[in-house]
Amino acid sequence: MSRRYDSRTTIFSPEGRLYQVEYAMEAIGNAGSALGVLAADGVVLVGEKKVTSKLLQTSRSAEKMYKIDSHLACAVAGIMSDANILLNTARLHAQRYALSYQEPIPVEQLVQSLCDTKQGYTQFGGLRPFGVSFLFAGWDKHHGFQLYMSDPSGNYSGWKAAAVGANSQAAQSMLKQDYRDGLTREEAVALALKVLSKTMDSTSLTAEKLELAEVFLQPGTGEVQYQVCSPEAMGKLLAKAGLSQPAPEA
Amino acid sequence: MSIFEYNGSAVVAMVGKNCFAIASDRRLGVQLQTVATDFQRVFKIHDKLYIGLSGLATDAQTLYQRLVFRHKLYQLREERDMKPQTFASLVSALLYEKRFGPYFCQPVIAGLGEDNEPFICTMDCIGAKELAKDFVVSGTASESLYGACESMYKPNMEPEELFETISQALQSSVDRDCLSGWGGFVLLVTPTEVKECVIKGRMD
Repeated sequence: MSRRYDSRTTIFSPEGRLYQVEYAMEAIGNAGSALGVLAADGVVLVGEKKVTSKLLQTSRSAEKMYKIDSHLACAVAGIMSDANILLNTARLHAQRYALSYQEPIPVEQLVQSLCDTKQGYTQFGGLRPFGVSFLFAGWDKHHGFQLYMSDPSGNYSGWKAAAVGANSQAAQSMLKQDYRDGLTREEAVALALKVLSKTMDSTSLTAEKLELAEVFLQPGTGEVQYQVCSPEAMGKLLAKAGLSQPAPEA
Repeated sequence: MSIFEYNGSAVVAMVGKNCFAIASDRRLGVQLQTVATDFQRVFKIHDKLYIGLSGLATDAQTLYQRLVFRHKLYQLREERDMKPQTFASLVSALLYEKRFGPYFCQPVIAGLGEDNEPFICTMDCIGAKELAKDFVVSGTASESLYGACESMYKPNMEPEELFETISQALQSSVDRDCLSGWGGFVLLVTPTEVKECVIKGRMD
């Protein structure tokens, strides 16, 4: 029955649904999850790497975390090839803004412009929507630290703590329970790791499977800094949180 | 009068032993009238790469902004800083894009590359690169800068001596040029540190 409607991105079904968009969201549900927590002095992003084959060559230290501008970064859940296109446009947009106005782009403006692009692919014919959800973490002078979540339909919203990808529902409700206002960055990292450890499919939490990125203001200079956690530091963090498992016997 | 001489400028870069220096004057004029005495013509691209832009001040600023734009995108994509040689090619390409309506600037590029190898280069306003091992000059004071640099420059100078030499060369050259002067800005870059200095000269 739905055949007539779900092959077209631009057409509503009689129940008022856009099937292609819903399928795209479904695709993200299978992707490695990512979650973000807003702290008083920064924003924390944590992601789960889905495939960690020993044979896979990784060119980058982080494959889910991307810096968009000096004050702005994001975590990706979904199809990476789609995400790369969007990341390119995001970076370009941020730099165009900086070129025109000689100041960094406000976080929400960047998120909105990216979501406008996403929305366009749900309305105009012959295309499929982007199968990507983002978590944006950033700082600007208007609203300080911010965390946004976006989905393939082009909707976006600001959050204190949010999750995307596999088991995001469970993560979301755990965050809702355990989040409290005025967390420090350190506490936010601990919360994010705890929630991720409980909602991840795999039983053991290892440094190789996780990625951690933080956006915060550098003490002293007050400059915005984006920092990706190294695997070694990650291991220490996990041990401190009591989440790491002893290495399996070879 | 050429549009390159409208605001007046003097930019020079020199290579030393594992270091380089880049310097410029600080005058911004409208022909013979001085408008500002703290004008910046040397810009930072990253910790070990600088560009000095002589010529029309408005074009220098715009060109710098476009270079920052391109360099930032490169940094984000590659997760590293640009090599000086790569950057020189970028500047050259950007200038040639405007082959028939150029930016009225003559850039001087100076940086430390891989293994902290110093690199300097200059080009004309449409991007013809000119590489040098010793020093490069540009601006309205370029003729006297050539003379000063040729007589004062020695290869393999240590940072302290290089700083002294480039400052003296700049100062004595701008005194022979009506359109540049009002002190100078000198930047000395070694693998471990960057020294920025505003020097005074004949302030008239």
